[in-house]
Amino acid sequence: MQDVIILALNGLAWGLIIALIALGLSVIFGLLDVINVAHGDFFMVGTVLAWVAVDVTGSFAIALVLVPLFGLLLGAVTERVAIRPVLSTIVLTVVSTHGLGLMLQEGVRATFGATPRRLLAPVGGTVTLPGDLLYDTYRLVAAAAAALALLAFFAFQQRTRFGTWMRAVRHDRETAMTLGIPVERVQLLTFSIGAGLALLGGVIAAPITTVDFRAGIEILPTCFMAVIIGGLGNLPGTAAAAILLAVTEGVVSAVLDPSAARIVSLCLMCAVLFLRPHGLFAGARA
Amino acid sequence: MNVLSVNRALTLLLLLALVAAPLFLGWMEVDFWLAVMTEILIWGLFASSANLLFGQVGLLSFGQALYFGFGMYGVAIGIDRFGLGLWPAMGLGVAASLGMAAVAGLVAVRLTWHYFAIITVVFSLIFYFLALRLKPITGGDDGLSFSAPPILDWGSLRLTLSDDATQYWFVLLIVVLAFALQARLRASALGRAFAAVREGERKASLLGIDVLRVRWIAFVIAGGLAGLAGALFALFGRYASATHMYYTVSGEAVVWTVLGGAGTLLGPAIGAALLILVREELSTVWEHYPLAVGALTIAVVVFAPRGIAGGWNLMLARVLGR
Repeated sequence: MQDVIILALNGLAWGLIIALIALGLSVIFGLLDVINVAHGDFFMVGTVLAWVAVDVTGSFAIALVLVPLFGLLLGAVTERVAIRPVLSTIVLTVVSTHGLGLMLQEGVRATFGATPRRLLAPVGGTVTLPGDLLYDTYRLVAAAAAALALLAFFAFQQRTRFGTWMRAVRHDRETAMTLGIPVERVQLLTFSIGAGLALLGGVIAAPITTVDFRAGIEILPTCFMAVIIGGLGNLPGTAAAAILLAVTEGVVSAVLDPSAARIVSLCLMCAVLFLRPHGLFAGARA
Repeated sequence: MNVLSVNRALTLLLLLALVAAPLFLGWMEVDFWLAVMTEILIWGLFASSANLLFGQVGLLSFGQALYFGFGMYGVAIGIDRFGLGLWPAMGLGVAASLGMAAVAGLVAVRLTWHYFAIITVVFSLIFYFLALRLKPITGGDDGLSFSAPPILDWGSLRLTLSDDATQYWFVLLIVVLAFALQARLRASALGRAFAAVREGERKASLLGIDVLRVRWIAFVIAGGLAGLAGALFALFGRYASATHMYYTVSGEAVVWTVLGGAGTLLGPAIGAALLILVREELSTVWEHYPLAVGALTIAVVVFAPRGIAGGWNLMLARVLGR
């Protein structure tokens, strides 16, 4: 029983991180109509830069601040160079972000190297949870940090002027433009924020995963699944779906091995897509 | 002269050049390129399966590697486990991919756009992980190696894949036939139904087209084309492995299609040829060549949004003044 709870907790922590990354994917998709297949690589760049920042400065806090800021910059440059010229056609954005993903992967391989590395958790040790359960402190911290970032993002979207603009552009681009909202700037910053969220997810995840230039390829499908079964454009739905997916996989892996757990969660996904093609929470939103 | 007749003449020239290529390369003593060209033909055929779905019916599939994998394993298992000859093994591979596409299609074609894209990925991932796990059947991580049976064995006339030129001509023959079939399909009533469904689902159904059925047929044919490419690839490498079933391989098919020109007949093969040639040229001189491939990919979609073939057609139409 304890094992199951620990694996479920692992799933929860991982699910919150995935939720953060998937949220970035979802705002980019919802607002710009861009399928960003380099999003996993943004996450990967986040883990790598976290490793580098800790290696150079010795401080995880610095990584936590600097890397997401760099993500904002990377997102802005990407939007200008690889996204804006092809915005009119969604499939072109797939291809152009694929090209970007190749460059990010190879860029990391050329500089950081091809060997996977591990980053030591900034807070080590274990805590005792109710029921005499020993659990990694850092995983709890990571879960809390991801949850906090999610809440901060929702607050930003609901409470600030820029957040309102983002919602307006997503809802109706033409009307937003006639109302004087600087649509192009909103698009630029949205992509930038989406990338920033992925890199932030990368920093938080770096101590509990391997730092590897291929990590983005592995994580991308899960993020897309969260976006789709959460319901396109439904941000809380996306977060909920990410957590649900990861917890399911965690619990199932208590009984079966991880790759069988992956197969089970994928089959579940098929069922959801087939039975509720517009997302798990489509009814709740209306 | 119109665009169509110019392109027809060029296609004919290309075909002649492809047939004569082994002689020319042999004379130039650069036989190494023959293997590269064989690979381009196979990947071009694979990309055309994504193009059939996206360019003709408007369904963006990121799961064509699943059917490629079925074709690949069909051949490998047929030869290695059942001791089949080359042609029956190919038949097994294509039949397996057609069957899989027929079943998966029943579910997938009910969804469109993002939902279709994601369910094709999900299907292919399920079988990718299964292929890794089912070691007794697929060889798991190590894959399956086998030695290829002869293409033809009529007493004194014996053709085998071990001769590079024969192998190339064999692949060329199959790939050309598959493209000819696609050309026929475009001109047929079914091909026009594909286009009608792509342009507007509602309009098509008002015209009396059974949209789901048309999509399903396209899905199955595309699965068969991908399976055929997989079967050829297994024969070419004498090897089948799960790595070629991962979703990134499906992604390549979409990328090649769009770079070459989605919706055009030869576009996917042109896109595959471009990226594979760049890879072959650069990988020997620069270890980090994917940086250049990525940049080139972005540049092509930014400067030629209709792809190479689409851009070519536009330019030709302007030059010819119509």
